[in-house]
Amino acid sequence: MTTPPSPSTGTGPGTGSATGPAIRTRALTKHYGDFPALVDLDLDVRRGEVFGFLGPNGAGKTTMIRTILDLIRPTSGTAHILGFDSHADAVEIRRHIGYLPSDLSMYPRLTGKDTLAYFANLRGGVDWGHVDALAHRLSAQLDKKVGDLSSGNRQKVGLIQAFMNRPELIIMDEPSAGLDPLVQQEFQQMMREVAADGRTVFLSSHTLSEVQRVADRVGIIRNGHLVDVEGVHDLRSKAIRRVELAFDAPVDAAEFEAVDGVRDTELRGNAIMLSFDGDMEELLAVATGRHHLVDINSEEADLEEIFLAYYRDDVAATGSAREQARA
Amino acid sequence: MGTTVFTRSLRDRGAQELLGAVAVGLMLLFGMAVYADIDVSFYYDMPPAMLDLMGISDQVGGTAGIAYGAIYGFMGALTLAGLSVSIGASSIAGEERDGTLGLLLGNPRSRGRVLASKLAALVALTTLGAVVMLAVAAVAPDVLGVDVGTVDLVAMMTHMGANALLWGMLAACIGAWSGNRTAASGVAAGAMVLSYLLASLLPLFDGGQAWAQWSPWYWFSGHQPEVNGIDGRWLAMQVGVTVVLAGNAFVGLDRRDLRERRGRTTLVDRLRAHPMTKQVADRVAGSARVSSIMARSTADHQGLLVVVAAIVFSMGMVYGPLFNLLPEGFTDVVDQFPDALMAMVGQADMATAAGWLQGETYSIVMPIAFLTVLVSVGAKAVAGEEEQRTMGLLLANPVPRRQVVLAKAGVLVLYAVVLGVIAFAGVAIGVVVGGLDVAIANVAATTALVTLLGVVFGAIALAVGAATGRTRWATMVSTGVALVSYFAWSFLPLSPTLGDWANLSPFDWYLGSDPLNNGMDWTDAGLLAALAALLVAMSIPLFDRRDLRG
Repeated sequence: MTTPPSPSTGTGPGTGSATGPAIRTRALTKHYGDFPALVDLDLDVRRGEVFGFLGPNGAGKTTMIRTILDLIRPTSGTAHILGFDSHADAVEIRRHIGYLPSDLSMYPRLTGKDTLAYFANLRGGVDWGHVDALAHRLSAQLDKKVGDLSSGNRQKVGLIQAFMNRPELIIMDEPSAGLDPLVQQEFQQMMREVAADGRTVFLSSHTLSEVQRVADRVGIIRNGHLVDVEGVHDLRSKAIRRVELAFDAPVDAAEFEAVDGVRDTELRGNAIMLSFDGDMEELLAVATGRHHLVDINSEEADLEEIFLAYYRDDVAATGSAREQARA
Repeated sequence: MGTTVFTRSLRDRGAQELLGAVAVGLMLLFGMAVYADIDVSFYYDMPPAMLDLMGISDQVGGTAGIAYGAIYGFMGALTLAGLSVSIGASSIAGEERDGTLGLLLGNPRSRGRVLASKLAALVALTTLGAVVMLAVAAVAPDVLGVDVGTVDLVAMMTHMGANALLWGMLAACIGAWSGNRTAASGVAAGAMVLSYLLASLLPLFDGGQAWAQWSPWYWFSGHQPEVNGIDGRWLAMQVGVTVVLAGNAFVGLDRRDLRERRGRTTLVDRLRAHPMTKQVADRVAGSARVSSIMARSTADHQGLLVVVAAIVFSMGMVYGPLFNLLPEGFTDVVDQFPDALMAMVGQADMATAAGWLQGETYSIVMPIAFLTVLVSVGAKAVAGEEEQRTMGLLLANPVPRRQVVLAKAGVLVLYAVVLGVIAFAGVAIGVVVGGLDVAIANVAATTALVTLLGVVFGAIALAVGAATGRTRWATMVSTGVALVSYFAWSFLPLSPTLGDWANLSPFDWYLGSDPLNNGMDWTDAGLLAALAALLVAMSIPLFDRRDLRG
């Protein structure tokens, strides 16, 4: 366990309070009554990275975020944010973070600008030039009452609120909700800039394509268990390929299913489509041995498919869901 | 046709309508029981204008005249019509405000059919309320063994129901045209009260009767249906206008664009938009309002505070001078009141100015006013932000939970002080104008004590809200404790053995020392203040230790 370093009051880049991980949880567990929402979560989020936290609805993403923010308290285990204890140093932690909750609610009668001013006052001021720049980039309407805004425009106010103090760590729960694709792109650019600045972004999502585009590493959570943490590139290179083999005559699917690593075969006329994460030479041997191969097409699977592979079977495994799925 | 919309509207509002009708019915029972025990002839010595305003008919006379008149003809009629206005205003405009009308019309139903179902529900609910009231009115004399002579209850309730329906339909019509629920209920309720005043007061002037006949309220009350039975002409007027309004609603709703779900545009918003007033308004409503948690939270309940403060101020002002207008024999009448009734006002001696003030304002009205505001503020203090789901965002800032509780407690105290100052001003003006023999310092002391009492129950709500995060529980617990302690203070002293327990009630710390006569009791004030402080102090760990909701 790390000891809390001396608090620092600055919030700009490079004035961090420690050099350890941005977020570190150890055996973090949260039960709601008998229901285990979070089980023995060990997670390290490095400084200066964009970390994507992936999982289906109800996996425990929001519970994890609310726990490390001290909004709810762990049943057992510990969490350290920027080297500070999540409970004992909660107020100090909040000086250095920005937070965007999921399903954002704000004060409907305040305008966007009032809302930002309110939170700025609670933080002892803000650089309004920076706020204006963020508002401009996101095309946010700050003069309207929050209650009159559409959900996407409300979300923009929430995003500015999370970014405006140039926090060391930005924690966002499903941040892209309601944003149009252009704004999403700008938002992704903003996250990359934060990381390039040496600061950290932690975002939970079930929008895999977004995480794929912006995250350096991905943690996958399911039923309260952390299934895996991998670099996006490692995850992709390790992962399944989608292979299409075309022949001059129909083939028998069973022949290909016998090959180790083949799943989800599908016959389409003279072609067969399959998911594959085995030895390519083996597959080609079968394809060319008894048939006349006309065309071959192989695509890297996106996270969506990797994600589905992790979650295919209802096993609350903690690391090797794929192994079991294959067996 | 549109049965689901119809039945859903009935389900949504049925309980409210029933509750209103039953409450008025219970008041009738209670009133009749009290009036039956006393000589009520002094009522009929009041000036005719007063009798008319109170809905009391000297033609019916006796207990029945007062009970049916004051309770049904006045309060019952206003309640029934008020409920109809609320239902009518919500029928279209309420669904528009909630953003559910678009959803409703996304189904294969025309606007006309939806409106027809809504109006049918309005008619059914108003009828339900009138029938329940009629049933209670019919059995009350038998239950209580009171002889009321001949009163045509069916005629009275028919006209009263038609009257309520007319105002409800007016609200529905305005709502259908404008989609603005606040405007619909405000205009309809205003028109209703104005019509009631005109119908009651105009006939007192020469030639006024002819003018009063233009007021729809007159069509119900003017010819005294409880004495003269149903008048076909006036009933036709009531039904006719109601039908015309209903037809108008269909035209209005069909012609216009539906409103989007939007917040209200307030006067402050307009001031902020106008270039001339922008700078000042921005500072007050914008930067000042968001300067701290306390400042922002203070803006939350202003509407309620303004309304209650206006009521407290005007009532305080009126009751002083009223003391001088009491008829000679009033004290004798009060002496005949049952002990239980006098207990409810702390056995105040109504023959003295101080006793009169305590009986009429300080024992019941003031506590209700202060508790209404402060329990609401206390209940929403912590739990409100949790239920609005803004607490998580707030606590993501470098703000300890303790600071949130203290800021909210600050708002509670601020509201109490503002209400206290306004209440004191009203009563003090009334005392001075009426030349009452009550020291202003004692009025100040008593008002300070009721302010502290309000803070105590507000703090109970705050503590329960901080412990549970639920405003409903906070309101229920603090209201329940308030009722128990009120009854403990008022009724326990009637018992020779349990009387001492009344000393434990905060109400006893408030009025037990008779502050209107004796001035400030610092021990009682200290007890109230200490209890409030203890409750706030308890709120901090209660909130600090638990998981945030929502």
